[in-house]
Amino acid sequence: MERSINHRVFYPHAPEVVWDYLTKAELMEQWLMKNNFELKLGHDFQFNTGPIPSMDFDGIVYCKVLEIEPLKKLTYSWKCGPGNGQITIDSIVYWTLLAKDNGTELLLENSGFKEANFNVVIFNAMEQGWLANMNKIYKIINEAKNASTNA
Amino acid sequence: MLTMLSEKSLPINSLAEHFDMSRPAVSKHIKIMYNAGFISIEDIGRERYCTLKKDGFDELQKWISFFDNFWKGKLKNLETLLNNKIKK
Repeated sequence: MERSINHRVFYPHAPEVVWDYLTKAELMEQWLMKNNFELKLGHDFQFNTGPIPSMDFDGIVYCKVLEIEPLKKLTYSWKCGPGNGQITIDSIVYWTLLAKDNGTELLLENSGFKEANFNVVIFNAMEQGWLANMNKIYKIINEAKNASTNA
Repeated sequence: MLTMLSEKSLPINSLAEHFDMSRPAVSKHIKIMYNAGFISIEDIGRERYCTLKKDGFDELQKWISFFDNFWKGKLKNLETLLNNKIKK
């Protein structure tokens, strides 16, 4: 199953211009969403758009700035849910800017999708945990068997 | 095991062949996954088939498709915005 969103767009503008549109709240609002972003590592911010009841989405995306590499890289968490601060979808947005001869290539990756408090999280943990336990049990039984044969 | 089931339903016997575990250990593993609601078990002929319950996965996939389209649209907005900037 594809769990990662990837887009690549070329803009005939210098990285400085594109970077501004990714990191200045008033410019971001013009193409993305209303927000209170600040270019500060660890800054918590939100994007606000209209709620989408059919998706169980209250219209607020909760984010935190995770990585800044000026003019090159910007990473923030991307979480949303049905309301009251409840988070059901947890992911990460990675922006990468590549300077080209006559513009900038912008790479977007939105990945690491997890359903918070949901089956997937539990199942990953279970799958790992139980397999390890099962193998351990298997080993112990075998060792016990060998020990008794040797005795 | 769940990864194998994500492709298709499988009889317990052929699932067991893929793992270096005793048959009782496999049965126990399956019982745990069944009790947790991750899989369903159905008798077809002489075999017991395990099927992955996809509710959780489909829900996540719905969100991923949603954001995929969302970003496509937003990046297009940015393109329009930047192109207008050139013209000015």
